[in-house]
Amino acid sequence: MNASGEAVNPLAVRAPTRASRWRGWVLSALVVLLLLAGLEAGHRLLETRSQAPLYRVIVAGESLTLEAEAHAAFSRDLERLAAGAEADLAARMAPWTEARLEQAFAPLEAAVPGYLDWYFSLRGSYLRMAMGLAGDQAGWRDAQRRSRLIEASGIEAALGRLEADHAARLAREQQAVAEQVSATLLERYAPRSVADAEAQAAAPSFDLDGQMDQALLATLDTRRWQAAALSGGGLGLLAGRPLARKLSAGAVGQGGRMALRALATRLGAGAARSLASGGAAAAVTAPTGPGALMVGAATAAAGLAGMVGGEVALLRLQEARRRPALEARLHDGIEEARRDAVASLDGAVSAAAARLASGLEAHAPRHEQAPGEAHPEPYRIIDRLGPYARP
Amino acid sequence: MARRGTIAGPLRRHGHLALVALVLLGWSLAGDGWAGALFLPVWVLATQLIVAGSLEAARLRRRAWLGQYLRDDSPWRRWLEGGALMVLRHQLVGALLALVLLVDLRLLSLAEWPLLLAALPALVLARLRLRRRLSRHVVAEHLPAVTRRLLAAPIAALLALAMVLAALWLPQPWLIGLGWEEAITRHLSAGEGGGLLGLFERLAASAELTRQWAMQNAVERFHLATPVAVLGWLVLLLTQGAVAWAYVRLLVGAEALRREGRSPLGAPAADRETWP
Repeated sequence: MNASGEAVNPLAVRAPTRASRWRGWVLSALVVLLLLAGLEAGHRLLETRSQAPLYRVIVAGESLTLEAEAHAAFSRDLERLAAGAEADLAARMAPWTEARLEQAFAPLEAAVPGYLDWYFSLRGSYLRMAMGLAGDQAGWRDAQRRSRLIEASGIEAALGRLEADHAARLAREQQAVAEQVSATLLERYAPRSVADAEAQAAAPSFDLDGQMDQALLATLDTRRWQAAALSGGGLGLLAGRPLARKLSAGAVGQGGRMALRALATRLGAGAARSLASGGAAAAVTAPTGPGALMVGAATAAAGLAGMVGGEVALLRLQEARRRPALEARLHDGIEEARRDAVASLDGAVSAAAARLASGLEAHAPRHEQAPGEAHPEPYRIIDRLGPYARP
Repeated sequence: MARRGTIAGPLRRHGHLALVALVLLGWSLAGDGWAGALFLPVWVLATQLIVAGSLEAARLRRRAWLGQYLRDDSPWRRWLEGGALMVLRHQLVGALLALVLLVDLRLLSLAEWPLLLAALPALVLARLRLRRRLSRHVVAEHLPAVTRRLLAAPIAALLALAMVLAALWLPQPWLIGLGWEEAITRHLSAGEGGGLLGLFERLAASAELTRQWAMQNAVERFHLATPVAVLGWLVLLLTQGAVAWAYVRLLVGAEALRREGRSPLGAPAADRETWP
């Protein structure tokens, strides 16, 4: 009723009733929608009319012609894939590296009990004692460890082989990753390629295959160069002196001091005992001529035998007490060496991936920024208006 | 108690202004996706607010003109009073103005928003003062509308001045020695989105870059004297006045839309008494 009255009465346009307000909103929405539709149509028309630049891209042997939008998306995808290449490469290499390292380090681990047996044997013990007394225990120990652990297990050769295999494998996997990137891009952008024969010649082109080849070649070269520079490779280097030192660092890092103290206690006990028994017999029989000498010799022999027996018992005791700790330390040293090897190999992988990624990204078609980047400082009007205006 | 009254009272009475400003602020700071999605509703809102204000002013003007020249019983009064044609014209102009405002707000740096927000209390205070002043001179029935009509211009001028002064301090990209195309391609970062809003943002941003490029290079190359340079900058920056003007019109429109039904005399009754 009221609404119809308003419709008749022209003054009612001014009357701010709820209905008229709603009418205003609806009208606004209609006008905006109309404008939007018109502008959108104009935008579309402009887009189709304008000379959109076409880009030619060579991916996996296929030549694609992309419009600007698809090309921008292509560049973004390429960057993202290149950035993800490292994780991909690492994930591909990890199981293989793990298995091979396990294989390479297994003999070394297996050699540990033998070394410990020798270490706590009577012979080893006295050799240690002798070397400790002679004063060059650390070097001798290094040599022993080297010959008994490292050379016996053949870890050096195994690591050398591992590194060579790793390099070859890395190159293969890198190739595979690059091919996968190409295939992904081709699969994604082949449908969006525009069939425009005349634009092909003039369009600026980007050859992904060429870039990939270059990046891979650069990687191979660098790798070769690196291997040559280290002569035998980083792992071979690792397997030599550093590994021995690593093992010693845990096992005898406390130096000959601990060992010497143990030897000294054993030596002290034995000497005191022999001195005590021999001395006592000698004291009893000393004044009486050659017989006394015989007795003295006999007691000395008995003392020696007792000493040897006591020595073996002490050695067993010491072995029971110290063998687990020493074994654990040796295993720790091996573990550490293995971690180092993993780190070195991973470093090679990530370096290769980074080279691949940077090789791709550096040549990604979007990065054609001029060398002179933005001026370091922004322009501030107030600063440029004469000297007195400077703050 | 009194304190709460001093805060809650004005907030309730002028909450619509704060709401409008916050909606605009939130939208203009939103990401491209959200802004694109909410573009249409925000545009409708801004259009409606601007139109509400401008329609009120236009009707005031028209009524004054008709009352001046036409007899009370002439049917022309009814025809010329302002109907669909006037509404449509204002809607169209309002929509375009709202578009300019929204796109420019998107490009506005955060440092200029305090000015826009400070315009709210300034508007409220100025309205109260002006209303008190005018109440002795203006017919009570038209007092709110006249107040609003007289309010828009000075507040917009003040806001524009403040924004121009702020622009003197705000950093600009360094464009000296660059070609125009180079400057555009290197520094045009706004509106990555492919939609219509992105296009408008790009257009507005490139217009602004062009302005800055022209003036920076002119000042540096011709070694303009400071007064000339300031004058040049002011003329160029005064285009920012468009933003201030549209923004104040929008606020005034929000005010008009809110107060419309609440004038002390009651608008419909007043109309019938005045126009029998």
